[in-house]
Amino acid sequence: MLGIAIGLGVTILIMASSFSRGIEDIMFNKVVSYVAGHVSVNMNEGFGKRVPVFRDRERLFDIIEKNCDKDAIIDEGVGIFTRAIGNGRADNMILVGVDTTRKITDEQQQEYDESFNVIDGKFEDLGRSGSANAVILSRDRADSLNVKKSDIISIRFRNVFGQNQSERLTVVGVLKNDNIFMQGVMFCELENVKAMMGYRPYESANIHITVKDPKRNAVRVADTIHAALTPGPAFISGKVSYNSGSSLSEGIESEVSRLRVSDSEVTVIPFRGDDDSIRLITSSFELVKGKMEDVILRDGVMVSSKLAEILGVAPGCEVMISYDTRFENQRVSFKVEIKGVFNADSVRGDKTIYMHEALFYPKFYDRIPDLDKDISNAFIPAESAPFKSALGMEWELLDRTRNSDEMRKKYAAQSRKKIRATTIDVNSMYESASDVLKLESVLNIITLSAVLILFFIILIGVVNTLRMTIKERTREIGTLRAIGMQRRDVWAIFMIETTLLALLASIAGTFFALILMWLLTLIEFNVTDNPLGILLVSNHLYFLPSLWNIAFNVALILVITVITAYFPAKRAANLSSAEALRHYE
Amino acid sequence: MILKFVIVCSLAIMPLSASAQTSVRLLFSNVEKIQQMTSDVRAKVNLTQQKVSQGTKNMELIYYRRDSDDSFLIVFSAPESDKGNGYLRVGDNFWMYRRNTRTFQHINRDENIGGTNAHAEDFEKRKLTELYAPALDGAGNEILFEELLGKIPVYKFEVKAIVNDVDYPKKNYWVRRDNNLPLKEQSYSMSGTLMETAYYPQYTVVDGRYIAVKMLFVDEFEKGNKTLVEISNISTEKLQDYLFTKPYLENLSK
Repeated sequence: MLGIAIGLGVTILIMASSFSRGIEDIMFNKVVSYVAGHVSVNMNEGFGKRVPVFRDRERLFDIIEKNCDKDAIIDEGVGIFTRAIGNGRADNMILVGVDTTRKITDEQQQEYDESFNVIDGKFEDLGRSGSANAVILSRDRADSLNVKKSDIISIRFRNVFGQNQSERLTVVGVLKNDNIFMQGVMFCELENVKAMMGYRPYESANIHITVKDPKRNAVRVADTIHAALTPGPAFISGKVSYNSGSSLSEGIESEVSRLRVSDSEVTVIPFRGDDDSIRLITSSFELVKGKMEDVILRDGVMVSSKLAEILGVAPGCEVMISYDTRFENQRVSFKVEIKGVFNADSVRGDKTIYMHEALFYPKFYDRIPDLDKDISNAFIPAESAPFKSALGMEWELLDRTRNSDEMRKKYAAQSRKKIRATTIDVNSMYESASDVLKLESVLNIITLSAVLILFFIILIGVVNTLRMTIKERTREIGTLRAIGMQRRDVWAIFMIETTLLALLASIAGTFFALILMWLLTLIEFNVTDNPLGILLVSNHLYFLPSLWNIAFNVALILVITVITAYFPAKRAANLSSAEALRHYE
Repeated sequence: MILKFVIVCSLAIMPLSASAQTSVRLLFSNVEKIQQMTSDVRAKVNLTQQKVSQGTKNMELIYYRRDSDDSFLIVFSAPESDKGNGYLRVGDNFWMYRRNTRTFQHINRDENIGGTNAHAEDFEKRKLTELYAPALDGAGNEILFEELLGKIPVYKFEVKAIVNDVDYPKKNYWVRRDNNLPLKEQSYSMSGTLMETAYYPQYTVVDGRYIAVKMLFVDEFEKGNKTLVEISNISTEKLQDYLFTKPYLENLSK
């Protein structure tokens, strides 16, 4: 009976741990990596709204690739909520960008084939030219939109800047979706989705990174990337000009601009708009013309006295700032009105303009200057400058957090700070996918509970069984002791007996567990409308046993058995042979 | 006969050059002045939203707006499911209030209001002329026509967005020739698809300013969807500061 109990216990333990490992595998390597990546780098350029764009994709990818594991997969995560209209029917869909041009390993290809079961068409057709915005969608949504392969779907959505946009998509494939989360998703080539969203070719969306062994590596990789994303100072280095006679037009430099009366080199530097920074600016700059109350407003601009002298400007004058962009080989220009003139010096710069960040950043981000090239000509205030902390940076790097609660507090604090620069937030899956991971924790707790219950069952079973055995074999023990067997040997007999019983029962239990798991995976569940369907693979239960896991569980049972058998065996060994021989039931 | 037809047509839809008496810039500036609120406002707003897949939903809300800092407060009074929910904006802070949980939540400018197509940023005080500029044709002229909208003589003109932070990058306006009141507005997506048509069939005069009290928004993308907005009980009396506070919104929603 004890053997049967131990065998059943092992069966339950192996099945529970295999199921838990299977769910962990689904969570980390499928759900989390598809939804948010094991590590994510999230940008937001918008003030009070979500604008997930980083204006220099090459630079961002360069930093990430240099500070990531070599076998990590780095993707841009672009997904749009859309209202889709098919043939006479409409539905809500999420359009997700997929990079079909990226080289993948055979293992990854197999994984994709298992995850995306295309029943009509081919996944590779997403990248084929000739079809306007080729998409693949689930069979359920194809039915709800009344579309088939080669049909057209019209979608409405808001692009990355919040503008209403519409597009036409061509259905090139239909998926047999295996879980509820894939039902409402349409897949399209990443570059097409980015173009629809309004990203320029050199701009990036949020980044998702998939790493090997995420439980061990995700936090480390996130910390490394975070450290590498420290921003430099934001500035625009170019020319400033003033023409008191004609009105200048903004935009690309034209012939009119050559008729300027006065111009000069200039470095334009942003100052932050929060209360502390404004106080610092107010106390650090002495105005010789204009009012500080006007300078600290959202359209505030102050120019150095030296520059004002060169240009012949005073508060109220409009100057034109022009500079070369990093991309598209353009020279762009914009007008600003001077609100104040400050005393020029070596700390504040001779040919500098300080501008409120609310005025600076829209220009700066819309047409990024080539900071690496310009820094040699630019004036950057020294670290020792008293107002240095009030100056704007290329972006604002948010602090790392360890869990979703800390992350929520961080975002609440960020919204109070009213940051105008692009914010960059590096998260591991423990923050971005914590709700998904909580499910995995719950399952681990269930498995642990099963272990504890088994521990007590075995504890009670072994102790009681051994007590009964010792009682029944008291005279036998007495006989063995009388003929010269030592206490240690008597103890060893009981220990070996119990251990062998546990070992054989564990082996039998293991085989039974493997057979039972195989039988259970044959059952097909139809749970397409149930969120728990995410725990299934192709509508079947998913167990992931491993030799190491089985060996660990068997060893655990054996250890529990040995520990619980120790004291009864010792009591048996300590029986006096004379008393034992006189014992009658 | 054909010539007369052509002359009549060309008179009916006659493009005007920018050097003519009026221009798109002037018209648009007038539209901006008409739509700009320059005092505190309190009003009751009725929304009748018709969606093909969801039927008709009637919503009623009270709207307060303070001119000095562009703060506003919205409280839903109907339907029962939304009653008591509200939105409060003061400065750069925007909150959503949920009566059933009695909690305030900071929201972004791009959050939608009460499940409608309106967004928080739509209630911000923004100058049209800072967001849009006259669209130009191939010859560099403003796109401006004289037309009849029904029997009403109007100017029709086109504007395009000059910033990214707008809902629609291109709009067409039909404004009355006599007083430049907008009667119709068409909004286009970036790809040039007509997305929405707005009609302003009724105005009232409050403190010498025109206010559209009836507006019809027709979804041109998903046919059959439309929203009728009716504004009533308009008051421009100065509003007290305590109105734009969380406790007041909480009390109002009870």
